[in-house]
Amino acid sequence: MFSKLLSVAGLVALAILSLFVGVIDLTPGDLLTNPDALPLMIQSRAPRLFAVLITGSALAICGTIMQMLVRNRFVEPMTAGTGQGAALGILLVTMFAPGAAILVKMAVSAACALVTSLGFLAIVRRLPPTEPLFVPLVGLAYGGIIGAVVTFFAYQADLLQYIDVWMSGEFSGVLQGRYELLWLAALVALISYFAADQFSIVGMGQTVSVNLGLNYRQVMLLGLVAIAIVTALTVVTVGMIPFVGLVVPNIVSRIWGDDLRATLPVTAWMGATLVLVSDVIGRVLRFPFEIPVGTVFGVVGTVMFLWLLYRPARDAG
Amino acid sequence: MLRKLALALTLAAAPAVAEEVTVETYAGPVAVETAPETIAVFDIAALDTLDALGVKPTGLVRPYYLPFLEDAAEGTEPVGSLFEPDFEAVNALQPDLIIAGGRSQEQVPNLAKLAPTLDMTIWEDTIGQGLARLEAYGKIFGKEDEAAELHAEFEAKLEAAKAAVGGKGNALIVLTNGPKISAYGAAGRFGWLHTALELPEAVEAVEQTTHGEAISFEFIREVDPDILLVIDRLSATGQEGDSAATTLDNALIRDTKAWKSGQVVFLSAAPVYISGGGIQSLNIVMDEIQAAFPGN
Repeated sequence: MFSKLLSVAGLVALAILSLFVGVIDLTPGDLLTNPDALPLMIQSRAPRLFAVLITGSALAICGTIMQMLVRNRFVEPMTAGTGQGAALGILLVTMFAPGAAILVKMAVSAACALVTSLGFLAIVRRLPPTEPLFVPLVGLAYGGIIGAVVTFFAYQADLLQYIDVWMSGEFSGVLQGRYELLWLAALVALISYFAADQFSIVGMGQTVSVNLGLNYRQVMLLGLVAIAIVTALTVVTVGMIPFVGLVVPNIVSRIWGDDLRATLPVTAWMGATLVLVSDVIGRVLRFPFEIPVGTVFGVVGTVMFLWLLYRPARDAG
Repeated sequence: MLRKLALALTLAAAPAVAEEVTVETYAGPVAVETAPETIAVFDIAALDTLDALGVKPTGLVRPYYLPFLEDAAEGTEPVGSLFEPDFEAVNALQPDLIIAGGRSQEQVPNLAKLAPTLDMTIWEDTIGQGLARLEAYGKIFGKEDEAAELHAEFEAKLEAAKAAVGGKGNALIVLTNGPKISAYGAAGRFGWLHTALELPEAVEAVEQTTHGEAISFEFIREVDPDILLVIDRLSATGQEGDSAATTLDNALIRDTKAWKSGQVVFLSAAPVYISGGGIQSLNIVMDEIQAAFPGN
């Protein structure tokens, strides 16, 4: 209980700190004295904080759900075709309906993400269950192929650098009025929490699920739709941030186990914290310029992952 | 038979007629035969300047991005793209001269195997090198007078633009790419705008990188430049989407001196980004800057 309070307090403290990190000098005292401070907070700092927190937690939750659906610890939406599918969707909209509203972009992107996720699922089901490493490898290859298709079309249409905006996500463009779609992602992630038990059962395999009276296919589809929507929303608003969905669920699972109802909040907390730490580092390291959050997260996440793998084993609980 | 003989005679006679001149290229001075008839062009800035001189290429890359070069491109043979020449097509064309550079610079050695190839890259010193290319083309195609005239015309436009921005304060150059922005300094790719126009930098820490430094909107608000020069990368390649104006129209930017005083200049992106240094493109940029500061 105490450690829970401590972790929440830690995230809150970090969140408050992040509100005062930016190119414009702003101290808590300014909020009371400087009339420009509050608008800045509302227009720039708070939106960025919310965007980071939502993206981090939602991507981590998506990673967990996907790992349950395909029963493999080493996949995540950004490497197994979902993120690339979302990017493909954006590219298609940009090529054929450049003036389309953001909601249309998002819908097309989510639809493409769903189709590519279904494709991944279809491939995974044909893999021998005795070879668990096939799944991430096939996922990487599959995601790579879709990514290559995206690159090919972008190259043909002279959109390479444009599509790059979505392939490497970061939060520098986040402002009030430019990230609100992410709240939808937060909502979807929250709803998926209520289906957590079902995802846990799906993670035990089809036979067990059916024996426990679960509508296997329905839960599977529900999970995929949730993943596709969240992925598309984050890709459209901030871009692809890889590894969050891979590193965080693995850390959580190793320390706290696989009871999703109990661990999903932890997953969300850790995803939010790690992405926020990365974003703050990216903002200060080359101040006043920015380093994409994905780059920083790659380093931070890798270090944490290695620590997890090699930390001295405690008594197996 | 007679026609073939006549052709052979002409071909044999040609080298005797052709003169050689030495022109300045990116790779240093190079001797070139004058008045080449079949030319393949792999650089849009080159196409721009050749068009101004009234020289029409036989082979040309696709796409060439700039609508005002449509006439110049009409009837030319496609010879590949800016980054990838179609060597079969080039070979079929049997050009007397290949003009490459910039995005096609890496292909210069390969193209040189097919025909004499000039590396006409314009990079570090957009105006200086742009004018050097103009002079070189003038020499090669025997259009020195036209080249000198164009040179003088540009100098006048440059002076006018310089006068227009003089005393209007410092400037920041930003490139928008969809919803993201990056900044450029005087040492960077678009830095010639600072040096040529004697426009002070609003912030001096921007390093030289091809695609600029990633910045946040807060950065622009904090730097608070008097003038904001905006290049919309997306529109440079003829794409629509989030235009630069939409990207920049937000609470933070609206708060800057540049926005408040209406000194946000949206430069036509293609002349700066695609064909920077081409004489017509240089003129377009100067005209736009001058037009953005009325009352001069």
